[in-house]
Amino acid sequence: MRHPSTTQTFADKVKAIPGGEHLELCYSCGTCVSKCMIQQKLEPDFNPRRLLRMVMMDMKEEAFTGPTTWMCSECDLCYEACPQEIHISGVITAVKKIAVDHGRKTLLKTAVVDQQTCVACGLCVESCPYEAIKLVQKKVPYRGQVQVAQVDPGLCMACGLCSAVCRSTSIGVSDEFTDKELMEDLWNWLQPQEVMI
Amino acid sequence: MADAARQPRIDVRAYTEVEKVEGFVGNFKVTLREKAKYVIADRCNGCGDCAQACPIEVPNSFEMDLAPRKAIYIPMSQSVPLIYSIDLDACIHCYKCVEACGALEAIDFSQEDKLVEEDIGAIIVATGFSHFDPSVMEEYGYGRFPNVITSMEMERLNNSAGPTAGDLIRPSDHKIPQKLAFINCVGSRDKRYNPSCSNFCCMYSIKNAVLLKQMDPEVDITIYYIDIRTPSKGYEEFYNRARDMGIHFTQGRPSMITEDKETHNLFVHSEDIGLGHVIEEEYDMVMLNQAAIPQPDQDHMSSVLNVAQSPGGWFMEYHPKLRPMDSPTDGVFFAGACQGPKDIPASVAQGSAASSRAGRILHSEEWEIEPTVAVVWPDRCSATTKGRACGLCAKACPYGAINILSPETPAEIITAKCHGCGGCVAECPDNAITQLHFTDAQILAQMRAVLASKPEEKIIAFRCHWCSYGGADLAGTSHFEYTANERGLRVMCSARLDTDFIFEAFRLGAGAVLYSGCHPQDCHYITGQLLGAKRAKRLEKIFSRMDMTEGRFRIAWISAAEGDKYARVLNEMQTVLDNIPPEELKAEIDRLKPEMSKRLKRFPGVPDVSEAMEYSDALTKVINELKEAA
Repeated sequence: MRHPSTTQTFADKVKAIPGGEHLELCYSCGTCVSKCMIQQKLEPDFNPRRLLRMVMMDMKEEAFTGPTTWMCSECDLCYEACPQEIHISGVITAVKKIAVDHGRKTLLKTAVVDQQTCVACGLCVESCPYEAIKLVQKKVPYRGQVQVAQVDPGLCMACGLCSAVCRSTSIGVSDEFTDKELMEDLWNWLQPQEVMI
Repeated sequence: MADAARQPRIDVRAYTEVEKVEGFVGNFKVTLREKAKYVIADRCNGCGDCAQACPIEVPNSFEMDLAPRKAIYIPMSQSVPLIYSIDLDACIHCYKCVEACGALEAIDFSQEDKLVEEDIGAIIVATGFSHFDPSVMEEYGYGRFPNVITSMEMERLNNSAGPTAGDLIRPSDHKIPQKLAFINCVGSRDKRYNPSCSNFCCMYSIKNAVLLKQMDPEVDITIYYIDIRTPSKGYEEFYNRARDMGIHFTQGRPSMITEDKETHNLFVHSEDIGLGHVIEEEYDMVMLNQAAIPQPDQDHMSSVLNVAQSPGGWFMEYHPKLRPMDSPTDGVFFAGACQGPKDIPASVAQGSAASSRAGRILHSEEWEIEPTVAVVWPDRCSATTKGRACGLCAKACPYGAINILSPETPAEIITAKCHGCGGCVAECPDNAITQLHFTDAQILAQMRAVLASKPEEKIIAFRCHWCSYGGADLAGTSHFEYTANERGLRVMCSARLDTDFIFEAFRLGAGAVLYSGCHPQDCHYITGQLLGAKRAKRLEKIFSRMDMTEGRFRIAWISAAEGDKYARVLNEMQTVLDNIPPEELKAEIDRLKPEMSKRLKRFPGVPDVSEAMEYSDALTKVINELKEAA
């Protein structure tokens, strides 16, 4: 009797996570790639077909460092088009989960909570389409043991919905997309322009 | 085709449908509906004057609606027999055709459909296939963009007898396209529409590309494919020739086609797998290579002919490797794509095989069948004992081999139609049917022998002849180790597995019982497995109500290729037994014994082996009587 292999391959790990089951049905037709808006508008190196191949070929390092793992917005255009009915964004999320477990950080600038002003109202938790925000009990400097929102950087896709719904401007996508910076930009645009004569 | 029509022993009935098929191998009674042509067949000489006179034009479905035909028409120029017919839906009753026909007087508007009954010895089904309609795949724009055409439309445009006399032109502006894309696997290898491969389309698109390239070497053709499949003799060479001619092959399934509104040129968006990036090319014309799908009336035909369908909807053969041209019903054969998509050489081979198989029946005086048929004991049938036939056997039979002429007459089995699954035997509540070679007494004797000593350690595995028995065989020949406590008993089909066998096995103290058979789609007796599965589910419920340890009764569907599964299931059952302490198992067996004997219907007295022998003797007598009567 054959014994199951004792070492779990990368593909086994991905298939064990719900969403990643149908990985090996992929016959590399490339429909997902030519359907993908991120590939067409944002990142030419974004290639779900190649990521699936990498998982099958046990190429962990390449999968974790490539943009495909981190940039999928789960719009599921490819899922509708896939002739093998593979839930590709499910597979990508599974790979991302493993990458986060390995201590990898996303390539995107994710949302950050200002723990000093957060009142734990939970609006951001409800609004997040990726279920990346949770309310946690935490020790916060100057405030002691309080409940605050916490962002899972592995799941956050930096869409900014949380920032838009937050009533205390305590959450925002870091650097150029915080409320303050966006307001400043808007203010600058609204200023009467100096007309060159 | 013309030769076939000329051969005096071949009777071609065009425009005729099969209404009803009754009887059995060698003795079919087939009812045919000869549809009204409104043209008298004996008088029409096919001159075509009537069609010239006819003022009505409707789309010609043979030309894929690319050309018109008249209301009085022949389907195509090579039609056999060459007899015109009138499409009454289009006809305006101007009677110009009657005038044109003149002295022949072949047109008769009073004709009606005729039902004809014929005695038929064997039936060959060659109903072919149909095409997937790509307009449901919105991404390819078929129907919206004029220059996206199907492979059948390409076939007519490219044909010298077609509507354009062989000139391939763009439907939008009638210009000759210089740059073409062919897209393979449209609707096939696609789980959303049709998961299987359509077999011949790779060769078909290569053929079309080579033809176009031969006519005009300047034309630029790209074939988009997922995989190119050229498995037969000479096919790969043909593929190489196409590449050599300069036809481009791009691996990548296009996700989308867009159109330039002004020029009606098309943009194909696809990933080029070889390059690893997305390409967007402009073409004058795109051909979609549609999937082959079963005929729209395949379901209807399968119920008329009483033959089963495979999961894809195609007719199911008796055995995929050894008897691909035979249907499960004796005397009905398949030729060509009605049994599954196949190309011309394979269709011709299957057709020849089917006709020689049919000839074997027509040339023999007697027809041999499997000896494992079922026999009715008329004196025990409820029609005799209670005056009312219960009809359970007729309902169970997948072949319609059991006749109950009236509620008062006992069930009759048409031996020529019986295939010996044993479903009726197990269903009969009055023990009035016996399956030869698999009698209750024989199976009982085997069970007694197996459970003679230490029954609580034994696992009885009931296996069906075609699948799980083969699976167990494979487990043995592949050296998959499984528990030595397994004792296999063979039946022809899981439908034969009487509830009493299982109750009796547990009553005799068996440790565990496996109820195994084919997967539903593999069953060699059309729906036999479904019957067995229903019974097994019922048993499972009964045992859980009895509070039997879970896993002592197990249902598993194991194909002949799943030796590993057979070994795994048996080992899992052994683990279940190992996990019950021996004294607890003994207590459970003793507790359930009276329950089991209460439920036994078939063996109320539980005959001893000697009694079983007597029973067998009685059976032999019946068989001899049957033989004499025949």
